[in-house]
Amino acid sequence: MSRDRIPTTSMSESILLQLPLRVALGGVFLFAAYNKIPAIQSFAEAIKGFRVIDAEAHPELIIIAAFVIPWFELIAGLMLVLGLRARSAALGLALLLVVFMAGLLNVIFGGIDANCSCFGDTKFPCGSTVGWCQVIRNLVLLIPAGYLLWRGPGRVSLDRLCEKPDQTPEPVIQFDDSASRTVDHDAARA
Amino acid sequence: MRLIHTCSGLLSIIGAAFLLATAHALIVQPVNLDAPVLTGADAPVVGDPNRANRNISPGKVPDTAPADPEVGDETESDPVGTPAGTNDGSADSGAADSGQGGDPLDALLDAPVPEGMLTLRQSRKLWEESAYFIDARHEDEYLDGHIMYASWLTATLFDTDSDRAFAVVESMPPDATVVIYCVGGECDASKNVAARLQQIGFTDLRVMGVGYEEWAVAGFETEKGQP
Repeated sequence: MSRDRIPTTSMSESILLQLPLRVALGGVFLFAAYNKIPAIQSFAEAIKGFRVIDAEAHPELIIIAAFVIPWFELIAGLMLVLGLRARSAALGLALLLVVFMAGLLNVIFGGIDANCSCFGDTKFPCGSTVGWCQVIRNLVLLIPAGYLLWRGPGRVSLDRLCEKPDQTPEPVIQFDDSASRTVDHDAARA
Repeated sequence: MRLIHTCSGLLSIIGAAFLLATAHALIVQPVNLDAPVLTGADAPVVGDPNRANRNISPGKVPDTAPADPEVGDETESDPVGTPAGTNDGSADSGAADSGQGGDPLDALLDAPVPEGMLTLRQSRKLWEESAYFIDARHEDEYLDGHIMYASWLTATLFDTDSDRAFAVVESMPPDATVVIYCVGGECDASKNVAARLQQIGFTDLRVMGVGYEEWAVAGFETEKGQP
C-alpha cells in the first residue's frame, strides 16, 4: 500500500526527467491560463465556436466552462510545477487534453472555422485557427502527462517533502517456513 | 490505493477551480453570448464621409439579381432582399457586365447565405455606398489581403489590446453602417465582433454571409497590409 506513494525513481531521473517535464508541462498550462483569465469573454466565444455545446439551449454551460477551465489549468499547472499532488494534477491535465482533442476533432471533421483560443491570441506553436497542428500538439503534451501520472513527481517535489514518516516503505515480512518446521520437530520430540 | 489518492486530489483541484471561477465571475463583467441583432440590407446607409470622396469605380455589379423569366420580377431566391432605392445608374452598366442568368458571377453574387446576413451583391452595394467594413479574421490573414478600406478588428482584440480595438471603434460614429466579414460559411468571428460593437452602442450592424475569398474571386477591390 505505502509503496504506491513512494516514488521509486532515482535522484538522477528525478532531476533530469521528472522535474523538467513537470516544469515544462505545468508551465504550458500556466501560460494558457495566464492568457485566458483576462479574456473570459473571448474564451467563451471560442468554446461556443467549437459547437460542442448548444449555445442557444445551454449558454450557462459555456459560461461555466469558460470560467472554470482557465482556473483549473492554473491550479493544476502550479501544482505540477511544485510537485504537489502531482499525479492528480497530471491526471487532470491529461483528461483536459483529451477533452480538448475531442473538441478539436469535432471542429475539424465538422468543417467549422473556429478560433482555438488555446493560448489566447498567442500562436503557440500553431496558428489561431483550429487544425491538425493543435491535435498533434495536444498528443505531444499527453506524453509527459502520462509519464508523470505513471512515475510520479520524483524526489525533487513537495510531495516528497510532505511525506510522513509512517508513509515510508514497510519492511517486507516474508513467511519463513523453516521456523515452522523447527517447531514441528520439537513437538515430535516431545 | 494510489488511484483513490490521485482521484481525491483531482477532485480537490476541480473544487478549488470552481471556487476561484465563482469568485472571478462575481468580479468581472458578465459574459454575454447573445446573438447580435443585425440590420436588414434595405436599411438606409450611414457611410464614411471621407471615403465618399475617394475615387471608387462603381458599376461592376447591378443592384438586383437578374430577373428569372419563370418568376417574373420577383427575386425570392434572395433571402434578405436587395437594397431598395439604391439604383444609381451603375445598375445598367453592371447588368451589361454580368450578362444573363447562367453567369458564374451572378451565381456568386446571389449565393445563398444564412438568414439575416448579406449576400455578396448586397455587400458590394454597401461598399459602394461607403459603409464601414470590418475584417474579423486573424491579423495575418488580414495583412495578406482584405477588402479595400476595411479595418481589422476581432472580438479577442477587445481583451488583449483594448487601445487598438477602441482606436478602430472610435473611427466610426455609433450610427454608422458597419459591415463585418470573416471567412464566410461557418465562421463566427464576424458575429462575435458584431456582438461586441452592439454592447458598445453601435446600432446598424450587418454581417456578410460570404467571406473575403468570395469577394476576391468576384474581382472586387482588395488591398494588402494596413489600409
